[in-house]
Parts: sequence; structure tokens; C-alpha cells
Amino acid sequence: MKKLYSNKLVIFSLVLPGVLVFLFAVLAPIILSVYYGFTDYSGMGEAKWIGWENYAALFHDSAFGRSLLNSLLLAIGFICIQHPLAILVAAVLDKLQGRAEGVFRCIYFIPNVISVAVIAYLWKFIYNPDFGLLNNVLKFFGYQGKINWLSQQNAIWSVLLVLIWHGFGWGMLIYYTGIKNIDPVLYEAASIDGANWWTTFFRITLPLMKPVIQINVTMAIISALKQMETVYLLTNGGPSNSTQFAANYLYQQAFKSFRYGYGNAIGVVFILICIVTTVVLNTVFREKQDA
Amino acid sequence: MKTTWQKVGKVILWVVLVCVAVIQLFPLIWLVDFSLGSSNEMFTNGLLIIPETIRFDNYVKAFVDGNFLHYLRNSVLINTLAVLLVLIISIMAAFACQRMKWKLSGFVSTLLLLGMMIPIHATLLPNYKIYSTIHLTDTLWALLIPYVAFSLPQGMFLMTGFIQSVPKELEEAAVMDGCGIYRIVFQIITPLLKPSIATVAIMTFLNNWNEFMMASTYLSTPTWKTLPFSVLEFTGEYSSNYAVQFAVMALTAAPAVIVYVILNKHITKGVAMGAVKG
Repeated sequence: MKKLYSNKLVIFSLVLPGVLVFLFAVLAPIILSVYYGFTDYSGMGEAKWIGWENYAALFHDSAFGRSLLNSLLLAIGFICIQHPLAILVAAVLDKLQGRAEGVFRCIYFIPNVISVAVIAYLWKFIYNPDFGLLNNVLKFFGYQGKINWLSQQNAIWSVLLVLIWHGFGWGMLIYYTGIKNIDPVLYEAASIDGANWWTTFFRITLPLMKPVIQINVTMAIISALKQMETVYLLTNGGPSNSTQFAANYLYQQAFKSFRYGYGNAIGVVFILICIVTTVVLNTVFREKQDA
Repeated sequence: MKTTWQKVGKVILWVVLVCVAVIQLFPLIWLVDFSLGSSNEMFTNGLLIIPETIRFDNYVKAFVDGNFLHYLRNSVLINTLAVLLVLIISIMAAFACQRMKWKLSGFVSTLLLLGMMIPIHATLLPNYKIYSTIHLTDTLWALLIPYVAFSLPQGMFLMTGFIQSVPKELEEAAVMDGCGIYRIVFQIITPLLKPSIATVAIMTFLNNWNEFMMASTYLSTPTWKTLPFSVLEFTGEYSSNYAVQFAVMALTAAPAVIVYVILNKHITKGVAMGAVKG
């Protein structure tokens, strides 16, 4: 048995495909990015080594700063708006029995299975000042006047709204699963003791959900950092970078402004930020769990 | 007294749930509603319209001019292949790292999981360069390789957890009977992993089905383009005919929504399992 399980050739053959995919599709591009980050390559012609120049420029680039700020705003939006709502709805849904529970759960998740391409274009129409749904809703409630939802002032909030709306079902579903995993005996005990819904929610549901909340919050922050596709189609970072996100910015720099080298430098910094954030969040939450 | 409060509570509960459902669903209802009218009818003051004549020809246009079938076929093919590859590769690697005895098992396993932290979009630029240098752009591989690569860490993570929970005695018995490693992996372990296979398959599918950033970077001809492109390319062509644009959006969203509604119990379970553990 032992001999069979330490056969080097067999191990090699089992691991090889995974390692190859990793080397070719993850590691190689990162190494290439690091190299191009040190050049002034435009996408065509020669690449000239310019040392740390790109990184120095990036340090003073206000559009990149704005991207990180927008990621922070989005993370705050997820954590302060989407997640409390999601937990609350999940807790309420858990109280419902029978068919309705399944139907609502299904409805809430539907936006999640729809392509970002459709979502982004759909919301472009919803925000349309002339016939868009949102202005019509306001009119329906008696507000006259046309709001330009994608103007420089409003655009970032409009983008956040789409993202919070689109991801709601996902967060809800995970909290819902977490709540379902709580031992029902605890609820019975609470109701025997005469605890009402609020007390039960704050004293039993929330504390027991702590690990799930931590996982969900971590995922929300990471996905706020990585956001690109919705923004790319909805506003493409505009007007004048007010809705810029890091991934979208590096793409624009490389393929629209022909600063391929600079785009790669952003990519390298972006990867570092994502890794550091993941590691920090995991350490913070793990320490808290141990304490 | 208590019963009236309970009744009020129940009403509030329903109001909250219905409100959220309306917010989540109304934009989609609006989409379908307007896709059945004519473009002129959109300039209405109401929220929804009752089309004078229901225009199914919007959908016919969307279906034909949006290359719907072609893109759908590509999406199904690429995603199925990606799911299969992710499953096979992750089961093999997870088994080797979890069960077999070798020095680097921990290192390789960490290495493969590392991919979870790397933002996909940061690899768009260098991968474009690599693929165009070795002539992979506009081929099936340009999508398949990155789709597999970025779903692999999660698959590997989930599979490692599940393989841990398979009792070792089963394998010991198999070894006694003269089973080789490959047969142990594919004939004894794999059938036991059915629920986790479903989870990994669902997560991989959800990750990649709607992906378009890589597709639009690595592909320039329509040969391998996927479903989101029927929307992306169509809007330019029919820029003034809004109703047809709405039809193409509804049509593009339809396959995933229909499959989700039919399989919603399984998908919900899969996502919940995958996300809580991942």
C-alpha cells in the first residue's frame, strides 16, 4: 500500500495537468506582466526598459486612486446595505414554511444567473433619461423632472446600485444556508423562554452566523476590488474616471491609450493589493475566531 | 392580544418578502414587457406598457440576426468542456495532494489554490500577448484554458475537503484486491464524490457561462464567441430599434434562467455548499 501510494511516476501524472494549467495560465502571465511593467511598451514595436518609471507614475495617478476609492465605496455598500438586508431577508424567509419559501428563494437568485452583459445593458436602459424605468418610477410617485443617472456626480452611485442589486441573491442565499444550519432546538428553547423575534434574531441568529458573515464579508471585499465587467459595459469608468475600477483602468490604459507597459504595472500592483487584502482579512478573522 | 400581534407580524413579513421580490424581478419584467412592443411605445409615462400588437417578430429578428443558436452552441460546448476538465484535473490533483505520500504535496496544493487570490482581469493583458504570439487567439483554447485555470483552485479546494472525508478503509480494501491508483481514483473515489462533483460543476458553470471579458479580448472573429456576444454585437447593429434590443437581451438571458428555475433546488444546494466552504 505504502509503495503504491508513493509511486513518483503516478503522482507526477496525477498532478501534471493541474500544474501545467497553473503555470501556463496563471504564473506565466504574471511573470510577463512584471516584465512589461518595467517597460514603455505600447503594444506594438519595441519595448524599452524604463525601470520603476511606471510605478512612480502610478503613485501619482489620480485615476488609479479613484479606482481604489470606488472599490472601497463598493465594499462599504455591500457590507452596510446589501448584507444587512440579505441577512434580514434570509432570517424572515427562514420563518416561512412550505412552497412560498422555495419560490421567494428562487426569485431572489434569478438576477445572479443572468449575464452581466444583459444586466449592464438593461440598467443602461433603466437609467435612460428619456424613457428609462427609474425616471418613470419617480414620475409615478409624483416627481417631475429628469434625472441624469449617469452624470459625473451620480454615476458612481448608479453603478453601486446595480452591483448591490445584482449580487443580492448570492449573499442572501449564503446567509440563508447559514441560518438553516442553526440547530432548531435553540429556537425552541428561546421561544419557551418567551423571547420575541427580534431578541431571537440578535441573540441567537446573528452570533451563530458569525463565521458565515466573516466569509461573506471577505468575499464581498474581494469582489469589490475585482469588479470590472459591469462597469466596463455600463460606464467604462466614465464620465472622466468617476466610476473607474482598477481592472477596467488597466484594460483601458493598455488597449485604448496604448500604454501596454503601464497597464501591466497597474496589473502587478492590482494583484499585490488583492493578495494582501485576502491574507489580511483571513488573518484578522482567524485571530478573532481563536480569541 | 398575542394573536393579533402575530397576524401583524406575519403581514409585515410578507410585505418585506414581496417588496424585495418586486425589486429583484421588476427590471426583468420590464425588459420582457418592452421587448414585445414597438420602439415607439417605450416613450410612455406608465411603468409598463400594453403593446397594441404583441410583436413576436422582435424575437425572430433577435434570434436570427443575433446569431443566437451559433453563440448558444459555443457557450454550451465550451462550458461543458471546461466543467469536465476542471472536474478531472481537480479530482486527480486533490487525490495526489491529499492521499499520496510525497514531499511536495503541501507545496503543490498551496500553489494550485493560490490562483483563488489572483484577479482574473489582471491576466488579460499578458495572456493576450501570449495567445497572440503562439496563435491561440480565435481558437477554442483561448477560452478553455483560462476558464479551466480560474475555476480550478475552487474545484481543487472543494475536492480536497471532500476526499478527506472518504474513509481510508475503502482504498485499503481496493489495494488488497490489486487495484491500481488510477482505478482507485476514477472507479472508487469518484463515484463517492457525486454531491461534490455537482457542486464544482455548478460553480464552474456559473463562473464561466456569463463571462465575456476574456472572450472579447482573445477572440475577434465570431467562430468561438459565446452567448453574451449576441447582446454585445447586436446593440450596435440595431442601435435605434430599442424593442429588438430588449428582445435580444431577454433571449440571451433565457437559457440560464430556464435551467436555473428547473434545477433551482440543486443549484441552490450546490452554490450554498461551494460558497460556504470556499
